[in-house]
Amino acid sequence: MRFSWSTALKIAWREARSSAFKFLFVVLAVAVGIGSLTGVRGFSRAFHQMLSDQARTLMAADLSVRVFDVPTPEQGSVLDDLARHDVERTWITETLTMASSGDSRPMLVSIKAVDPNKYPFYGEIRLDPPAPLRTALTADTIAVSDDILLRLNLKTGDTLSLGGKPFRIVGRVAYEPDRMLGSLNVGPRVMMTREGLDRTGLMLPGSRAAEHFLFRLDPGSPTIEQVRDRLRQAFPEALIADYRESHPIITQSLNRATMFLSLVSLITLIVGAIGVATAIHAHIQQRLDSIAIMKCLGARSAQLIRIYVIQTVALGLTGGLIGVAFGFVVQKAFPQFLKRYFELLPSARLDLLTAAQGIGIAVLATLLFTLPPLLGIRRIRPNLILRREMGETKPNWRRRLIEERASIAAGAFIVLGFAGIAMSFTAGTRADMWKTGEYFTLALGGGLASLSAIAWLMLRGLRALGRRSLPTSLRHGIANLYRPGNHAQSVLVALGIGVMFTLTVYLVQRGVITQMHRTAPPGMPNVFLLDIAPKDRDAVLSLVNQQRGIEGGTDLIGTVAARLLAVDDREIAKMPLKGWVRRFRSPRSVTSAGAMTNYVEVVRGAFWGSAQRPAMPEVCVSDEAAKVLDIDLGSMTRWSINGKEFSARVACIHRIDSVHLISRVEFIFSDGALDGFPVVYYASLRAQPSTVSAFQEALYRSFPTVTVVNLADVLQTFQSVVDQIATVIRFISMFAIVAGAIILSSSVAGTRFRRMREVVILKTLGATRARVSRIFSVEFLILGAVAGLMGALLANGFANLLLERMLDAQVSFPILPSLFAVIATALIANVAGWAASFRILGQKPLEILREE
Amino acid sequence: MSGLTKSIQTATHRVDILRGIDFEIEQGEFVAIMGPSGSGKSTLLGLLAGLDNPTSGQIVLDGEDITGLNEDQMALLRGRKIGFVFQSYHLLPTLTAEENVLLPYELTGGNGSKGRERARELLESVGLLDRRDHYPVQLSGGEQQRVALARAFMVRPPILLADEPTGNLDSQNGQHVLELLIALNQREGTTLILVTHDPVLSARAGRRIVMRDGLIVQEE
Repeated sequence: MRFSWSTALKIAWREARSSAFKFLFVVLAVAVGIGSLTGVRGFSRAFHQMLSDQARTLMAADLSVRVFDVPTPEQGSVLDDLARHDVERTWITETLTMASSGDSRPMLVSIKAVDPNKYPFYGEIRLDPPAPLRTALTADTIAVSDDILLRLNLKTGDTLSLGGKPFRIVGRVAYEPDRMLGSLNVGPRVMMTREGLDRTGLMLPGSRAAEHFLFRLDPGSPTIEQVRDRLRQAFPEALIADYRESHPIITQSLNRATMFLSLVSLITLIVGAIGVATAIHAHIQQRLDSIAIMKCLGARSAQLIRIYVIQTVALGLTGGLIGVAFGFVVQKAFPQFLKRYFELLPSARLDLLTAAQGIGIAVLATLLFTLPPLLGIRRIRPNLILRREMGETKPNWRRRLIEERASIAAGAFIVLGFAGIAMSFTAGTRADMWKTGEYFTLALGGGLASLSAIAWLMLRGLRALGRRSLPTSLRHGIANLYRPGNHAQSVLVALGIGVMFTLTVYLVQRGVITQMHRTAPPGMPNVFLLDIAPKDRDAVLSLVNQQRGIEGGTDLIGTVAARLLAVDDREIAKMPLKGWVRRFRSPRSVTSAGAMTNYVEVVRGAFWGSAQRPAMPEVCVSDEAAKVLDIDLGSMTRWSINGKEFSARVACIHRIDSVHLISRVEFIFSDGALDGFPVVYYASLRAQPSTVSAFQEALYRSFPTVTVVNLADVLQTFQSVVDQIATVIRFISMFAIVAGAIILSSSVAGTRFRRMREVVILKTLGATRARVSRIFSVEFLILGAVAGLMGALLANGFANLLLERMLDAQVSFPILPSLFAVIATALIANVAGWAASFRILGQKPLEILREE
Repeated sequence: MSGLTKSIQTATHRVDILRGIDFEIEQGEFVAIMGPSGSGKSTLLGLLAGLDNPTSGQIVLDGEDITGLNEDQMALLRGRKIGFVFQSYHLLPTLTAEENVLLPYELTGGNGSKGRERARELLESVGLLDRRDHYPVQLSGGEQQRVALARAFMVRPPILLADEPTGNLDSQNGQHVLELLIALNQREGTTLILVTHDPVLSARAGRRIVMRDGLIVQEE
């Protein structure tokens, strides 16, 4: 007769009945990991689905084109022709400027100028107090975001000045669903009409602004693919998207974030799986006699492994199911983190695919990690119950290596299995997947090995410490760490991973912000003046020179918006430019210079002399642009400015330090090459931070169209974004700590009966409950503190490595965060340990002794 | 058994537990193996059950040389042919009395009501049918050994090995268990090999083998 799975299931169920309490903790540890994983991935899928379902509303159109220049006449004719074929369009301009309420300091705001009679094509903009956009917005009125009202202490009906012109506030923008797909989707916002924008006088030739064209395909219009093709030809540099594909930047960012957070969740799951492996190992150790008896009765190793595999799968399945339910709660938390940046957020929903994935991963993870203890069943000899007292010699290390070869292979399989799961989370090409798998394998294998090694060393150190004359409670507490079945090393690794990861995120976040705030290289500007009109140039410079607190000189350059058409007859529009280098298809800010300055380093060729102008325009190209566009000395470049084309020969390749304003300009023309074209000036200067606000006010009073960017404000915005990102990552990585704490509880629960006996014996010998409590607390606190210390040491190491590589930052070891980590982990471990021990103290001694 | 030896290596020296055992047991015989503590009785029984491998020699069981069998083959053999009763009962603490009795049947692929009927029949014959849902911790020593007896006979093994089956029992319980063992044995027609140092017990056997220091010193 064959030993069927149903029989194995029956025996597995009977076997597990008495272990429900300790398995509960194991199930919870798995559930935490699956919860964070399915929460992250479920939210991502819901977000993707929302982007798809609400695509038209999010875009406010069927199709959108984004450029950074006003359309040329040729481009305009294409748009007009499309309009004649029932492709309705509306134009939005987004830019930055200064706003003031008169008696307040001016603040930097983003402007969105719309045609309220057409915008939005889909969805609606809701104002508070409610009013239709087409009637609320006129040439003299604006709607603003609530942070403008708060910061400038304004209310509906008050006046806000933009470009020196007054605008009445008709309401707060309560709902703007297409904001997340705009150019400037964070920070204070002003919505106005196009007439209002014209009235401000902010838009000069060459001013920086994002021009956004929205299209609605009315019945009878060409298909969306046809319209897209025409627009692609007319606007080769533009970012074109239609409602069917969502916004590529948003979806790319979402995919990357999902992948990263999924990997963090996977670490939590690994912690949970370590707990399962430890619990199953302990369970099998406690069942040695039962296993030996069953072998005496005729059970084969394969049958017994089948029984315990069923138990493991059941644990994984139960943990997965609970985890999926928990993931639903995690999904609900995400909108809280993102509501500042996204108007429209998906509601939490149970996604079957994500749930199935989560449950599958839970079962796979628990099976993988329990392979080594399950394979150990083969080595349990039935004669164990006849001759336990006869201590045979332990085999030597070579023999043990041979005997453990299956477990070693299982260990390798575990790492590869998880690498495979990590690869499945990767969005991108096959090469990206392999890279993720490779890095994850190294990180997982290396990380676990390091943690295990450090944990082993620390436990050895504690053991040596425990032999010294210490107070009784401390000595017993340390000795308890070595109680058979305590699995202190596994608990340390499990807790240590969570602490290490969470603290690393915090230290990197802190390091990034500190580095940004640190004193910049000497002469580094901290105030930038944008969009200075030629007529205001001298007056602005004069005002700057009169201000207190200005250090050093003012860097001023005049730029012209020019479009590079071709290099040596190779058209830019036809070059295969991808990612950030696509910017060369858009108009670039270029400048001219009569003579070389100290901070422009010519790496090849020669700068033209100041003595006489070259016969034909020459240009010096930045080394990065030269590399990307394959430009060499002598190359002929063809340009267009305001419809006028000209050519310039490449005379040199340059490099500029990052401090000076001119480093933002990649093309420097010879003197005279840009004469006659509209120029806009930019200035940078260094001011004492305490004088910047007064300077901003003085400048705004005289020159309201000049935008002042205070680096401190930019850093603050940057810091709030970094903080938010770090908060989300820490939220997910905290689950790893929770999983570690649960594993501690599980380990304590697994040694429950041993602890009961010890308590009983101690009580019989005269120990009070307080004394016994102290011993247990010492054990849990030491375990937690050691795990916290381990995690803190590794976190500091990893964080410094990352910061040094990313930012060339100085190495530092801030004491307070690490100390907090150690103390917090010790307290968490104490709570977790007592959660699994609370009934032990109340046990009556005779009850236990009678059972002996 | 011919030329059977068993030695083990401890950390400091080699221990020769059996130093050359030769004997035969016929089908249906009731054999008692006696000797002082440390004479190698239990080890011999363990080897007969295939729970361990001899250092040298040969064991032929029911015409089959079991000496060179691997662990799985031994387990199959035990499941089909050998019932075992231990001194310390060795019931699984997480199973009820009935489930403990059923276990050998299930391990050999049995399933369904037939097994349950047989288990209850055996429990009834040892007087514990009404305790079938009780766990070992709820049973006395004698009751546990009776359950172990029932378990040993579950698959109707041709050979029954018992290692000091009354060693942990008081005299009254011990006598009761012995009577049950002999009664069941006669009813099922098994070959019974009993290890004991109790002369009263051994007196009931058809044949007595006395061991000392790993050797058979007397046979009667």
